[in-house]
Formats: sequence, structure tokens, C-alpha cells
Amino acid sequence: MGSALGVVLMQKPLYSALCLVLNLFCVAVLFGFLDAHFLAVSQVIVYAGAIMVLVLFVIMLLSLEGQERPSSKTITVLAGLSVAGFLAIIFGPIQRAFTAKPTAIQGSVKDVGVELYTKYLFSFEIASVLIMVAIVGAVVLARRIKNNGN
Amino acid sequence: MAISNYLALAAALFAIGCFGVMSRRNTIVVFMCIELMLNAVNLTFVAFSKMHGELSGQIGVFFVMVVAAAEAAVGLAIIISVFRSTLSVETPDSSELRL
Repeated sequence: MGSALGVVLMQKPLYSALCLVLNLFCVAVLFGFLDAHFLAVSQVIVYAGAIMVLVLFVIMLLSLEGQERPSSKTITVLAGLSVAGFLAIIFGPIQRAFTAKPTAIQGSVKDVGVELYTKYLFSFEIASVLIMVAIVGAVVLARRIKNNGN
Repeated sequence: MAISNYLALAAALFAIGCFGVMSRRNTIVVFMCIELMLNAVNLTFVAFSKMHGELSGQIGVFFVMVVAAAEAAVGLAIIISVFRSTLSVETPDSSELRL
């Protein structure tokens, strides 16, 4: 959670990206505690591996030298107050309501895979189409436009 | 450890991410805060899946990860494209989403 604060409070984007990597690893460890081993591994590979490499690559590619102008004080204070209110409202019910004992489930690769390829096969295929569209869209957006004079 | 501890941690992470989205100006940092919020929601999904003894929560987390990866690719492409035209990644500078 300290690393999550680091993401928000660090001045340079590079440092906050590294804090986010630390935070993602911690969440992966918590997934492991909750018996979701497949998700813990894919969290490390997909988030900490793929997505964060992409983010770091973009940060270094753009080489942001200039300091970010700080946000106005009132916006920051308002955001902090609303977030603190949200936490104050939600913490009490959480502590009261969910005291049930956790049940034993298996989150191994085999169980998740069987579930994924039988019950959720259609969503899985849709997800692959979504990724295909995202790849094409990213290439189209990031391509340099050649036919506008220079 | 009780489930409520995981839920409280996830709520705190979500709140931190939300605060970041509202208060920061750098688009890349805002983007990372969105990832933070998605991660907090993933944590609640897994905690509830453990509590009810069901696997469908974990399947949901899997699909959230897939969508987050796609969103990362497209979002970073948009950031690069906006940076090329305005030479800045701050939010008020890119209020016009035109080509």
C-alpha cells in the first residue's frame, strides 16, 4: 500500500511506474495467499511483465524533461476529501459484514483452465477478437502519418 | 486471514488510484492510476471467489486482465499520438480530440 501511495505522490513518472511494479508484485503475492495461483502467475507475467514494460518504454520514448505543473490546490483538497469520505463510509460495513470463514477452493491452472474452456469458451473467443482489434488500433494510432506533407 | 482485511486493502488501493486520477495532470500517471484501480477490483474479485468457493470470480479477473492489456496498448498509442501533435502529456492541453 505504501508503494501505491508512491505511484500517486512521486513527481517523476518513471519513479511512479517503478512503484506500480512493486505494488503489482505485492498484489500477486496476495493472490497467492488467496489460493489463486494461476492468477498470481499471470499477474506477474501480464501486468508486471508486459504492461509495465510498455509503460516504461513510452515514458522513456517521450523523455519527459519538463516538470509537471502541479494541480490546483482546491482540486487536490477536494479529491482528497471525497476519497477520505468514501473510505470512511465503506470501512465500517466491510469490517462488520464479511467475517465469514474462507472456504477451500482450488485455483490451480488445471481447474481455472477447465472452467475457462468449457463454461466461458465464448467469452474467451470474444477476448481474443478484442485483443486483435486492440493491436490493429494501436498500430493505426501510433503510426506516423506520411501523406500530410512532411 | 479474514476476507474483510483483503476487502479493506482493496478499497484503500482503489481510493488511492481514484485520488491519483483526480489530482494528477500527467496522462501517463493517470493511466497508471487506472491500472491501480483495476488491480484493486481484481483483489476483491479473488477475495469473494475465495469466500464463496467459486471459480467464476477468478475467471472474471482473467478477463479484466485481458481487457487491461488491450486498453494499455490502445491508451499508450493515443498518448504517443497526442504527444506528437501537442508535445505535451498534460491533461488540460489535450482537450481537443481531433485529428
